[in-house]
Amino acid sequence: MTGVAPSLPEPAFAAALAALPKMGPAHLRRLLQGGTPSEAWAHVRRGHPLDEDGRWRRASEAVDPTELWSAHRRLGIGVHLRGEPPYPAALARDDEAPAVLFSLGDPDVVDRFPRVGIVGTRSATRYGLGVAVQLGSELAAAGVAVVSGLALGVDGAAHEGACAAFEENGAPPVAVVAGGLDRPYPARNARLWARVAAAGVVLSESTAGTRPEQWRFPLRNRIMAALSEVLVVVECHERGGSLHTVHAAERRGIAVGAVPGSVRSPASSGTNGLVATGCFPVRDTTDVLVALGLARAGRGIRRRAGVRRRGSPRRDDAGGGPIAPGARGVVAPTHRGDLASSDVPPAGKGGSGDAQGPVASVLAALGYEPCPIEALLGATGLSLSEASAVLEELAAAGVVRGRAGWWERA
Amino acid sequence: MIAVVSSATVVGAVGHPVSVEVHVSNGLPGFTVVGLPDAAVREARDRVRAAILSSGLPWPLRRVTVNLAPSGLRKGGAGLDLPIAVGLLLASGALPTPVAGNVSFVGELGLDGSVRHVPAVIALADAATGRRLVVPEPDAAEAAAVFGGPVAGVGSLRQVADVLAGSAPWPTSRGKRPGSGASARGRRAGRGTAGVPDHPGAPEVAEVPDLADVRGQRLGRRALEVAAAGGHHLLMVGPPGSGKTMLAARLPSLLPSLTAEQALEVSRVHSAAGVPLPGDVLIRRPPLRAPHHGASAVSLVGGGTASMRPGEISLANHGVLFLDEMGEFPAAVLDALRQPMEDGVVRVSRARSTVTFPARFLLVGAMNPCPCGDGMRPGACRCSDTQRSRYLRRLSAPLLDRFDLAVPLQVPEASELLAPADGEPSAAVAGRVAAARELAAARGAECNASLSAAALADAAPLSPGARALLERRLRAGSLSARGLERVRRVARTVADLDRSVLVTEAHVAEALSLRAGREALLPGCGL
Repeated sequence: MTGVAPSLPEPAFAAALAALPKMGPAHLRRLLQGGTPSEAWAHVRRGHPLDEDGRWRRASEAVDPTELWSAHRRLGIGVHLRGEPPYPAALARDDEAPAVLFSLGDPDVVDRFPRVGIVGTRSATRYGLGVAVQLGSELAAAGVAVVSGLALGVDGAAHEGACAAFEENGAPPVAVVAGGLDRPYPARNARLWARVAAAGVVLSESTAGTRPEQWRFPLRNRIMAALSEVLVVVECHERGGSLHTVHAAERRGIAVGAVPGSVRSPASSGTNGLVATGCFPVRDTTDVLVALGLARAGRGIRRRAGVRRRGSPRRDDAGGGPIAPGARGVVAPTHRGDLASSDVPPAGKGGSGDAQGPVASVLAALGYEPCPIEALLGATGLSLSEASAVLEELAAAGVVRGRAGWWERA
Repeated sequence: MIAVVSSATVVGAVGHPVSVEVHVSNGLPGFTVVGLPDAAVREARDRVRAAILSSGLPWPLRRVTVNLAPSGLRKGGAGLDLPIAVGLLLASGALPTPVAGNVSFVGELGLDGSVRHVPAVIALADAATGRRLVVPEPDAAEAAAVFGGPVAGVGSLRQVADVLAGSAPWPTSRGKRPGSGASARGRRAGRGTAGVPDHPGAPEVAEVPDLADVRGQRLGRRALEVAAAGGHHLLMVGPPGSGKTMLAARLPSLLPSLTAEQALEVSRVHSAAGVPLPGDVLIRRPPLRAPHHGASAVSLVGGGTASMRPGEISLANHGVLFLDEMGEFPAAVLDALRQPMEDGVVRVSRARSTVTFPARFLLVGAMNPCPCGDGMRPGACRCSDTQRSRYLRRLSAPLLDRFDLAVPLQVPEASELLAPADGEPSAAVAGRVAAARELAAARGAECNASLSAAALADAAPLSPGARALLERRLRAGSLSARGLERVRRVARTVADLDRSVLVTEAHVAEALSLRAGREALLPGCGL
């Protein structure tokens, strides 16, 4: 451990420094300000003034730069110092750029493509997931690299879409994660993690083997913001973690767009709030491309026929408008403009349900946001058997989807 | 001189006859009890001596040996006090010998000579071999409900001695007659034996609440009806305030009354556990037991070291076992339920003995979908993935599979809470439940839940639409092979409630809706 091989490259020492406990980006930057990583490492081993309680010095005894370096080589993880290619130039320009960056995949893709960050809540609705997948795939298809965090919910969905588009000549995806690159987190996204690394790149400022501790996530968010030219929030709660990324983007003067959602959906409360405070609304991929300067406003390159423009009822936009696959219209939704009546069904108990037919009355009662079956029973007056049969029929036709007793339009 | 008095003791919930032999001889004054007595029986010596002296009866200053036969059986409880005292009086010549030959005695003595309540009187009365049974006064009605011959409820040892001496008649029992409950309770409350509780355990059950008081909750009501009709175990998943406890409390009101045989079995177990019986006669309505999640495995399944006591699952026999906040029960406690649920009985084995208690109950579980409680509404949950999975890990998959019904409940809307309660009363629903149970009985099962898999395939012919729906769900992967059987079973019950021979698409769809709560408990809320 003491006999460090002199031939070890400088990034190896940077990786060793980043592996020390409670080593945040600010500390690391200050450690590396004065000289090369190997000098900083030697300094820490001797006792660095920044290391007041001697924590790093004690921990450094257990860290072997040689071993760490070979581990990174073995795992295929690249270690890059700021300012030295292939450290992404786009990131190096940032004031808070990590002093050392780890990559799994090809870090060059960052500088080769325009980049849009897509973030959002982990507990997304079907609507949010659908929008994220579609934005991800359409942006990638339009040649934009999708930057996201590989979290559950919106993040993962955006990358699912981007990876699918990459396989059909789309732009590669870029992911930024909080922990070590050998530790896929959450475990459920491990396959997606590998797909992103294969197609594009997964970046982190944590040494391999680092657990994704809580405090690393807000820091990760600043890298996502720094890498994005435009940031899109698909769905987020009133005080969701996505707002960290939004603030980081706003500090950097990066345009932030938000996908509007139902005013009654808690998962859209954060995004609707962003729209209200001046973020541009994202209704479709074109809105993002316009913000990116790749398309001109009003002359959407990919806007679909039959989509209403400004001034038309927004409700339908949110549910089945521009951001929604077009081929699903098995049953024409009844258009209703006003927000308040959306889940107060027109059908009274029993009577009108029969007059309209059970399918129509269930659809009317369902409205355009998630609805518990209990409310459907109350609104339509149907028995549980009848309502369930109608819902199963609609689900088979792809019109609605149900989960844990809640139903919503697909 | 020797005297033999018949009595009984309880092991688990089953009574065993015991004959108490008392031998009084010349020798150094002393008092020995042999024949595997437990601590309570050994202490009987002091109680018996004090009671005899307090009653103004003579204590023999001779050598007294008491044998409890059969000597291989472990005897517990204070119920042997009275027969020991009577035997002693007979053997010492204080009372004429021949009188007690065909009378069985059970009762605990106070130092003042009073005769006190003993638990498990029903099981004791079952086992008593005498032609007449003498029990503590507060237990007379309970004993009379099962004992074949005359039952005498006595208040003091002096009273017993007077009767045996021929100077008074046996008091007549006041059992069996309906309406005797209130007077028996009143009597008991008025009996002032130094603040000793008559019956330890749960307080007396109030009126069973009615389904008519429930506002809204269409799904919940229907789930109760189907659970009652088919005997399906029910899991209620919903946020706090969605009425899970309120609904569960009303399930017994939908179940048919107990048959005479079931009533006896249920009453015996309750009596053995020292739980008061309603109105001092047999329990005729299905019981509801709702143990707290702090309950230990032993309190749930039964057992104990000194005397084996039936657990909550046996007290819920032929009734409802309600586990509120199921996610808070320790996993080991929940898993202890699995074997009894399968067998309908629970075998509690200890080094010295194995006791079997009945445990055929309808399990109703209630839980939040996740720690924050909002896990079902899309986009509302604020729990991290780890928090969720840690919470759900408590519920093992095999236990989850025992629930045919997993109903997702919601907090009712304010407008519904303020609306007048216009729901159906329990009696109307119970009528449909009884009719559906008759259909199940015609298939040779108590209810559809206990139908064998082969019989189910026979009894539940699917309509083409129902078949197509199930096929679609199977192919989509949202239904497993095991789930399929559960759905068919529930669909059979739904069709029975509909009086339909064929299981149609609507019945299957409803069964699926009544199971949708499971999806909230499986990993993968997002992608």
